[in-house]
Amino acid sequence: MESVFTPLDCLLPAGKLKFCLLILNQPFNRSHFHCLWSKAALRACADGGANRLYHITEGDQDNFLPDYISGDFDSIQPEVKAYYKVKGCELIETMDQDLTDFTKCLQILQKKIEEKGLQIDLIVTLGGLGGRFDQTMASVETLFHATNITPFPVIVIQESSLIYLLQPGKHKLQVDTGLEGSWCGLIPIGSSCDSVTTTGLRWNLVPVQSGVNKRLYTKIKQAPPVSHLVNSASRQLELHIGQKPFSAAGIKMVQN
Amino acid sequence: MESVFTPLDCLLPAGKLKFCLLILNQPFNRSHFHCLWSKAALRACADGGANRLYHITEGDQDNFLPDYISGDFDSIQPEVKAYYKVKGCELIETMDQDLTDFTKCLQILQKKIEEKGLQIDLIVTLGGLGGRFDQTMASVETLFHATNITPFPVIVIQESSLIYLLQPGKHKLQVDTGLEGSWCGLIPIGSSCDSVTTTGLRWNLANQVLKFGMLVSTSNTYDNSGIVTIKTDKPLLWTMPKTITLHLMLPRQAR
Repeated sequence: MESVFTPLDCLLPAGKLKFCLLILNQPFNRSHFHCLWSKAALRACADGGANRLYHITEGDQDNFLPDYISGDFDSIQPEVKAYYKVKGCELIETMDQDLTDFTKCLQILQKKIEEKGLQIDLIVTLGGLGGRFDQTMASVETLFHATNITPFPVIVIQESSLIYLLQPGKHKLQVDTGLEGSWCGLIPIGSSCDSVTTTGLRWNLVPVQSGVNKRLYTKIKQAPPVSHLVNSASRQLELHIGQKPFSAAGIKMVQN
Repeated sequence: MESVFTPLDCLLPAGKLKFCLLILNQPFNRSHFHCLWSKAALRACADGGANRLYHITEGDQDNFLPDYISGDFDSIQPEVKAYYKVKGCELIETMDQDLTDFTKCLQILQKKIEEKGLQIDLIVTLGGLGGRFDQTMASVETLFHATNITPFPVIVIQESSLIYLLQPGKHKLQVDTGLEGSWCGLIPIGSSCDSVTTTGLRWNLANQVLKFGMLVSTSNTYDNSGIVTIKTDKPLLWTMPKTITLHLMLPRQAR
């Protein structure tokens, strides 16, 4: 039986999952930040993510020092870089222009997880879905690369959205933390998915034969309000994704 | 020779392209709104887009009446709906739950363009790229449907981003209106593209594969030619920013 994953567990103060935190260069919610920071086993910033950290912890930066900051450093403000350097944070310059700062930061994170022998369940990324459309897409691109970088699930959270790339196979998501919002979606981003089956959704998907004029997208379904989902017979959301290389979907849930 | 398309022409007060305007249910920039509204041949709201219109024109709604509002009406506020109804705006209920309000609104728009015999160059959508991730993706989905709905290019603009779905073939984009920002991207969003060739970019592609997990062109920028050409074998999403304030005219930049 496939194991259950609870995407929003990381935002529960009493949540059980252990994770590392990666901060990107976009505005994020203060309470999300504090909850995630306090529980993370390792904390990293990708380039300008350090600016965000610095400003959101204004007046108390000493108590919120990242384990490392990596990137090509074209976004980090000079005074922010100088501050964290003086405080002894590791600064790792990664000049490869074919990969984004997010991807490179993830590579370093995985190395450190291995070096320190950390036992974690997932990697949480804060920021990455707001602002420029191309940068949102770059975050999705990193999730594709992530499967070759780390064995741990990688989720991206910003404001009211979370995304998680489901690899081919079966997945079981627990969606009754109480933080789930009223919608979710499955997006065949990057390529079409020929066979998707779900349970636990308001509008579930069943396998369909692909026709000559098959649509490039599966339909985006929406879940009913959380209360219906919680009260329904199955508390878990099961997604079975067809066996096709690089077919992928993301599930997005909003947190209150 | 393929014709040239200038995506940001619609935001130039003196821009030449004729277009219809479709308003979605997301916050948008006031100066963009006024520029687009004043130039549009037809103006429509998709459901809660009417709320946005109503509030951004507060105190002067009379002078900003849409030609129609369509949708399943689960987002439009009752007082907004009542107001536009009293003012004689057409309210068209579209209950099909397999299509989004945006898609359905576009279908109606195309019908009206044909009925009125309008000569336009494109359809501009305001809103659609902010907020919920699934709704942004739903906007992209509508662009895929759009090729079967209307022959006109459909662009989506919100805040600092514009997206435009390039069909297989050759495209020529004019990018020297002065409103272009410093980045652009080519996103193989629905499927990988096996052969993409470009000119006019800082990092051009030469018959290359664009594919999630392999190569996606983000944070690209322009050379100084003012023209970008793209040849693609599959649908490919072009994205670019525009400056927020019209008076801030940035020069074309190469990094």
